[in-house]
Amino acid sequence: MAEDTRGNDDATTTVDAETTVDVAADLRRVMAEIDEEVRRRRASGDLPARVERELDELFLQHSPVAGHGGGLADALRMVDASAFIDPVVPVASDKSGGAVVKKGLRTLNLWYIGFVTHQVSRFATAVSRSLHLVDERLQSLERQLAAQRVPPAGVVEAPWAHGPGAWWVPVAADALAGAPGRVLHAASGDGWLVRALTGRGVDAYGIDLRPGVVARAELEGADLREEDLLEHLRAVAPLSLGGVVLSGVVDGMAPGERRQLLGLLSDRVAPEGVLVVHSLSRAVWMSDRAPLAADLAPGHPLRPASWASLLGSAGFEAAVPDPASADDYVVVAVHRPVHAHR
Amino acid sequence: MRVGFVTPRYGPEVMGGAETAARQLAEHLVALRGWEVEVFSTCALDHLTWENVVAPGDSTLHGVVVHRFAVDAGRAPAFYALDGRLRTAPSEAGRREAERWVELNGPVSPGLVEAVRTSDLDVVAFYPYLHYPTVWSIGRVPMPAVLHPAAHDEPALYLRVFAGTYGDADALCYHTVAERRLVQRVYRVAEKPQIVLGLGVGEGVPTGRPGGEVLGIGDRPYVVSVGRVDEHKGSAMLAAFFRTYKERHPGPLALALVGPVSAHIPDHPDVVVTGTVDEADKWDIVRGARVFVSPSALESFSLVVLDAWQVGVPVVVNGTCGPTREHCERSGGGLWFDSYRQFEAVLDRLLGDAGLRRRLGTAGRSYVAGHYQWPVLIDRYAGFLEQVVARGKVRDHLRVPPRGTG
Repeated sequence: MAEDTRGNDDATTTVDAETTVDVAADLRRVMAEIDEEVRRRRASGDLPARVERELDELFLQHSPVAGHGGGLADALRMVDASAFIDPVVPVASDKSGGAVVKKGLRTLNLWYIGFVTHQVSRFATAVSRSLHLVDERLQSLERQLAAQRVPPAGVVEAPWAHGPGAWWVPVAADALAGAPGRVLHAASGDGWLVRALTGRGVDAYGIDLRPGVVARAELEGADLREEDLLEHLRAVAPLSLGGVVLSGVVDGMAPGERRQLLGLLSDRVAPEGVLVVHSLSRAVWMSDRAPLAADLAPGHPLRPASWASLLGSAGFEAAVPDPASADDYVVVAVHRPVHAHR
Repeated sequence: MRVGFVTPRYGPEVMGGAETAARQLAEHLVALRGWEVEVFSTCALDHLTWENVVAPGDSTLHGVVVHRFAVDAGRAPAFYALDGRLRTAPSEAGRREAERWVELNGPVSPGLVEAVRTSDLDVVAFYPYLHYPTVWSIGRVPMPAVLHPAAHDEPALYLRVFAGTYGDADALCYHTVAERRLVQRVYRVAEKPQIVLGLGVGEGVPTGRPGGEVLGIGDRPYVVSVGRVDEHKGSAMLAAFFRTYKERHPGPLALALVGPVSAHIPDHPDVVVTGTVDEADKWDIVRGARVFVSPSALESFSLVVLDAWQVGVPVVVNGTCGPTREHCERSGGGLWFDSYRQFEAVLDRLLGDAGLRRRLGTAGRSYVAGHYQWPVLIDRYAGFLEQVVARGKVRDHLRVPPRGTG
């Protein structure tokens, strides 16, 4: 591409501050175009493989321990490029006569070095071939799995049930008073329940995986984070949570995800810690008033008694307070690990 | 409010990112909130030797009371052999071995540890996680302890000794979401109170001189990288990439490497290595650049990237560096590369499209204004510290285990 010689200030294209440009989408588009250009150039072979390999090795030299750039295909490309061990070592030298001496030594040793490098190259090629076979199998499995994969349940949006005026909020707040540790709320939204709980002296924080939902409140000082519930619980210390409130996250959960959630709650909630599970009712889920997620979710709401039973198996003593509406319910459970039936 | 900072080196002459961050937070808490701030540090300025070069005792610097303590042992020669052995499988190293790594790495300063332990501060902040003063103090202080990890994805992070360091923190303060994600991948600390704060940008203003004039390259267009010119910072890699780029794209474009030099960069007619320059020159150079490049994979925040955005210059970062890539993705102000091919394509695209450069620069500038101006930042940090103090000391009944151990 020809160079655009205008400086950054004198470019004629300007961005109106009022224009609602989706910068993230713009960035994704530009990077996708660049990736496509990279693929095109790589296919053209316009850069000698040796040069590209050396430059990429230089790049990887100081990459992070668990570097996340590049994929298996990139790693395999480097394996392929490194599989041939060249026995003809360079002989250039800064010293007078050095090149002649090196060349002589190379000639004398070539029969030996060549024999060894030939075997190493064969081994490397065999390893490379094996890795390609593994890669092909993995890709095939990934394709099959992608078609059958059960997506994680997203956040169910039901504003009438997920706000400070909802009937179940005082029930949850009463249950969480005196919780033996911090209380987690998922999905926290903009922190409406965290604020309500904090106002009643409960040490609460929240997570929500919907992009941008917590951003403003987080900037204003609330302990809210954009995180996935299961990932978050995996990063929590055992028996450290004084309480957990789940609203808008279990309604459409698939059985496998729910099983993982129960295992993590059992491990992360402290003894006498309180769990509050809010869910829409099955009736609402099946009605025209159901949120969009109802049609797209991999699962459906359980009955309150089913939650009580599942929680009992996970070491919680559960109770189902009388709901003020037929549209939704809460289950309040206290962690008493001795009661676990597992 | 009386706030303490524990950091292994302190002072304007210290170039380290974490230590500079600690100093800036301390000074801005004094200037913008009028809080009493004390720093507990050593007499060392060099992070490789930890040699005592500043007199021990108390002094005041920009309103901050600085307590300096002698280093009993700096980095020991035996450190390198142990480090070399542990870095191949750090999570497999035993706790005693990892503690020894911390001691050999230095700076060993029991006087500092004792002084922090017996102080009567309201809250104390430790910055960064990696060194003896933090490791040996954080579990011994009676007041709430806030850990600023400044963590990179580096072998040391996986040493078991740091499970105690993270576990003993009452609260955590991260530079970026990427840093939090990294720490939570290694240690179970997600339930602790925390904030993603970052750092404030400088107040530097370009004088208006053309950057090319400062660099001595006239009106040639150039890309710039600011920071220590060091192998670990990716400078040699960037220079090599750029030489190849120029072989394939002849023209007037130059590369300027601006900062103290500790790596050999081969001479090249299109590569200018300035060494250390004063602030005014730095801002003029950055402002005049077509593109700012951050080649380092090991940044925990990268103020220089934000500096570039402050003057509307688009950036290109190392795609394997979580924090700088996060800046780009959140702001829409920069692109990234994770191979030579991508570096070339990104540079081609940016140099060929002034409109794109402008869009990225503008997006970066508003990102900085919304998040990283000092008054905004100090309001958030002070509010966080007040919450931590109100919450009080929390002693975990369990040590925080590393991920994968329970």
